[in-house]
Order: sequence, then C-alpha cells, then structure tokens
Amino acid sequence: MSKVKITVDGRVIEADDGALLIEVLLANGVDIPHFCYHEALGPDGNCRMCMVKLQGAKRPQIACDTFVCDGMEVSLKDPEIRTTVQRILELELINHPIDCPTCDQAGECRLQDYYMEYGLYDSSFENYQKIHHAKHTDLGSNVMLDQERCVLCARCTRFTSNITKTNELGIIGRGDEAHVSTMPGKTLDNPYAMNIIDLCPVGALTSRDFRFARRVWFLGSAPSVCHGCDRGCNITIDHDRPKNGTETIYRFRPRKNERINGHFICDAGRLSYREHNENRQLQIIREGQSIGREEALEAFEQMIGSQKRIMILADANLYNEDLRAIKWYAKEIGALLFVPLESYRDESFGDDWLRSSMRAANARGVENMGINREVSGGYDIDVLINFNHPTPHMIAAGEFIEFQTHQSTNADLIFPLAMFSEYGGTLTNRDNITQDCMQAVNPSGMSLSAQEWVKLLPRRS
Amino acid sequence: MSFAFSPENLGKIEKLRSRYPSPKALTLPLLWLVQEQEGYIPGEAFDAIAEITTWSPMDIYKSASFYTMLRFEPAGKYHIKICRSLSCTLCGQAMLYRHLREKLGIKAGETTADGRFTIERVECLGSCGTAPAMQINDIYYEELNTLKLDTILENLP
Ligand code: SF4
Ligand code: SF4
Ligand code: FES
Ligand code: FES
Repeated sequence: MSKVKITVDGRVIEADDGALLIEVLLANGVDIPHFCYHEALGPDGNCRMCMVKLQGAKRPQIACDTFVCDGMEVSLKDPEIRTTVQRILELELINHPIDCPTCDQAGECRLQDYYMEYGLYDSSFENYQKIHHAKHTDLGSNVMLDQERCVLCARCTRFTSNITKTNELGIIGRGDEAHVSTMPGKTLDNPYAMNIIDLCPVGALTSRDFRFARRVWFLGSAPSVCHGCDRGCNITIDHDRPKNGTETIYRFRPRKNERINGHFICDAGRLSYREHNENRQLQIIREGQSIGREEALEAFEQMIGSQKRIMILADANLYNEDLRAIKWYAKEIGALLFVPLESYRDESFGDDWLRSSMRAANARGVENMGINREVSGGYDIDVLINFNHPTPHMIAAGEFIEFQTHQSTNADLIFPLAMFSEYGGTLTNRDNITQDCMQAVNPSGMSLSAQEWVKLLPRRS
Repeated sequence: MSFAFSPENLGKIEKLRSRYPSPKALTLPLLWLVQEQEGYIPGEAFDAIAEITTWSPMDIYKSASFYTMLRFEPAGKYHIKICRSLSCTLCGQAMLYRHLREKLGIKAGETTADGRFTIERVECLGSCGTAPAMQINDIYYEELNTLKLDTILENLP
C-alpha cells in the first residue's frame, strides 16, 4: 500500500493511503476521544466523540469514518472541535448520574476522562428530572449492568454478535428508553462473556467478582501469562496490599497480543486469579507439624538416603527455569523425572477459539526439554518427590515429599511452593512461543519457587 | 408457551418471499403477521422469525423494540390508542385521556383487571383534520369529545 503524509495539528504523520483516520491517530499516540470504536470491534460511528476538523470539509467529521489521503489536514485542537465534543458530551451526560465517587469504574472511565478534558461546563439542565434506568441488572456470567451509566456505544453487543457470535445482547428500545438487554428470560452465557467488562468504556458493565473490591488507582499491575491452559493468553495481574492486610491479587485482565489472544481471554482464565489467594500452603510441614527450613532440609536429606530409588514428578505449569532446575537436580541425585501430561487433558474445555484442552501452561516447554511425559510400566519407588503435579497418587511410593502451592496432599514432608504471580519466569505455549511472566507479589508465607528450593536441596551423600 | 405461524399465515409468508430480494427483508412483515395472529408478539416468535429471515433472534427483538406499535404483551380486548400529537393536543386530547383514565381506572400502558381495555397514547394517527382522534383496535373514531367517548365505550359489545 502506498504511503501518504497527513498533518495533525501541525504534526506530519505518515500513513497508509486509505487507512482509517482514527486508527492512524491512535497508532501515533494522538489521544482522540472515542467510545464506540475499538481495535477489536472496528468502527461503528454511533458515539460521535471522535470529531475532527478536516481542511476543506464544511462540518466536523468523525475520524472513525474518514479515510486518509495525501495532504489531508486534520485538527483536534481547533476550538470548533472542542466545542462540538463538549456538546456531544453534554448530551451524553443529560441522564447520566453525577456520582463518579460511588461508581466502581472511577479511575478507569473514559467518560470521566473526557469530561475532565473536554467537559467542565455548567449544566444547562438545572431543574431537569433525569430519566432513570435499572441500576443493578445481573446479565449473567458475572456481568452486572448499570444502565444509567451506559453510553450506548454498542461495544458489548458487537462483542456478542461479531466476536462470540452468541448474540445474547442487544440495544432495545429507542431514544431515552434505549438500553442494553438480553432476550426476555435469557442470560448472557458464553465462556468469554466477561470481556465485555473491559470493552465497556464506562461504568455500565462491571464484574460481579471485582466490583467495589478495590479502587483501581491503588492497584499495581504486572504483565504475565495465564496458566489456565497451554494457549498462553497474555494477562495483566492487578494486585495490592490493603492497609493491615496481606498482598492480594484482585483480578486478571487481558493484555493485548495479536499473535495469541488478541484483546481477550476466557472467563475461566480470568477468574483463575482466585487460586492465588485461596487455601495456599504457607508452612513447611512434617507429619502434621510446622517446622523450620533447616530442619526440613535435614529431614529431606535423610529421606532420600543414599540407596533409595527416587522418582520426581513436576507440574507442567512450572516455568521453563523451574523445569530446567528440576531436571538438573533429578540427574544429580539419580532420580527418575516425569511430567505426566494426561492429568491435564480436559476435552470439555477446549474450543475453536482460545480455550485449549491441554490445561497446563507449559506443556510445550516440558516437551521441548525432552522430559518424560507419560509414566509407563511399573516402577518400584522408595521416595516420591512431587513438585506440584496434580495427580501424585498415581505413583505408589514408600515415602512422599511434596512441594505444593495449595494445601492438597498429606505428604510426609511438605514444602510450600510459590505461585507464578510470586516470581518471574518463562513459559512456552502450544504454538512454541516463549513468553515472559513478571513477578506481581512476594511469595506468600515460607514459600519459594521450585528453582529456589532446588538450589537449597541437599544432594545425596 | 410456544409459537407457530398458522397455516394460513405460512401461505402468506410464501407469497411475501417473492416480493423481497432476501429473506432478511421479511422482518417487519413477519412481525406484523405475528401481532395480527396473536394480538401481541410473544418471545418465542422471535425465534420463529429469526429462522425464516436468517437473522439472530436478538436482531429481531432489537428491530421490533424500535416500533412502538408492536406489543410484547397481550392487550385487552379493546385496545384504545389515543393520539397525543400536535393537532389532537390542540383539540383537547389531554382532556379525553384524563376522562378515559378516570372512567377505566387505568393509566396508559395498563390493562383493566377484566382484560377488556388497554389504553395507549400514540403519535399522530394521520387523522389531524378530524382531531382529536383515537383507534380502538383497527377502527378510527374522530372529532371526539367526552360525551362521544362515553357513548362509544358503552356501545362496545
Ligand atoms: S453497556 Fe457499556 S459497552 Fe455496552 S453499550 Fe453501554 S456503554 Fe457501551
Ligand atoms: S484460553 Fe487458556 S490461556 Fe487463555 S485465558 Fe483461557 S485458560 Fe487462560
Ligand atoms: S468512535 Fe467514531 S463515532 Fe464513536
Ligand atoms: S395529531 Fe392526532 S391524528 Fe394527527
């Protein structure tokens, strides 16, 4: 495609001939107001917020329906445009409640941002009775609708009609009665439904799971990768330590990656953040008693002895770095190492979009490292050391040492294991793409990552 | 509850098909047929129309909700549609509406407990020359006043 030059408020920008103006502006960091346009959903032209002045055009034009051509002169800063956007906002806000402080979206709301940027007018509706709409509609799939906050941008409805093609949502009625709705008697019901919460530019759609849990400006964020299956969807981990509380993970949000998950993640992956906060193994336990690290490592040394036959199992959700360390350690102590993958297979989970039936984030990493992925034949084992593999009881062994993230088994010796949000590492997804995960919070209790534990573990005497 | 087009209407639908370039264009005629057949548009009809038109049921529901003359709940035996647009307003529709409300004990959008009457306030009925006007079901009543209104209601079977 041939390149053309346009100017935006004096700045020269190069773009593909015929490209959509709003996309060119956004790609070049121009903060053009918009509600209905979204990269994943395309233009819809319904919100009229993206007004620009085009040299030679009689009236303001919407950037999401303008295609660039050579020499195009665009202005967003023109006073006429600022007034136009302000008037559109004023119409948008006629019936909108003015209570941002009680709205859960505050701090990440486009309407709030635009009002601060373009609004700040005195209302022309002094004694006006606002039209009221339903405030807490449970649409299904953990999505709550506050119709009074909706700007009718149709992002949510376009998600269900164009992306999931499940068509649960529509804008019903017209004029000031228009509202988002499901079919009579039906609910929002698809495994990706909660993405509309992120798509909604305002506080109309919120997560039943997260709403009013935490003010967003308190949250810290770390880029990571979902561990729900081997697709490797990119996520942002939002976390915080409330006053007098412990570090908590509040939500996972999708992080854009065109090669893998686009803008979206599945609901199962999104809600898997809960596992980081619940039922965690925090202490080192021997025969039901909490003990210190030194004592535990001595006990470990005794248990593995010098002559015993040892098998190590490892979780296929561990980072490549963990697996490499475990593999090295297995060789050092002459232990068999297995990462049985069958335990993670769930055919009911896979679909033809993101969800994959291999529910282990690093199954491909295990494969690449040439680790045994099936336990074949009977093994006569004295000691089983398990690094969080979900089905250790498939192996019969005299003694059982467990490194676990959650309180699950009653091994003879239990070490607490950090979860992926608590340290960094890499994962290799089903398409052999290796990705980084950053640490979001500190390891809880006495837990350490598998690689850290391996560094401390005694060799055989 | 279920909905099915009557055999007679199925015949009409076949005839209608040839009038439009694509089945998608049948949405409004089919909504009308349902309302004629049932007196309103039951939820199940969205699925039936969706199947014929190849839209999704939500598309049908959205379109239907745009038109105030399409109803989603059964109306009373006598569906009174009283005009509230300009000419009728100048000629006293507000008084007629108040009279109706007092007489029947219901507001616009409601149906009497015995299921006989529903009142609805509608936009211009295209009968401005003989305002104020109303419709009861499909019949027009024009140049109304409260006296005339009483007689009309009393003479209904
Ligand atoms: S609920 Fe949100 S996404 Fe849906 S139309 Fe309203 S503002 Fe847009
Ligand atoms: S598809 Fe898999 S990786 Fe993606 S969000 Fe869902 S569970 Fe996580
Ligand atoms: S973004 Fe252009 S009209 Fe909404
Ligand atoms: S205004 Fe009532 S019929 Fe036209």
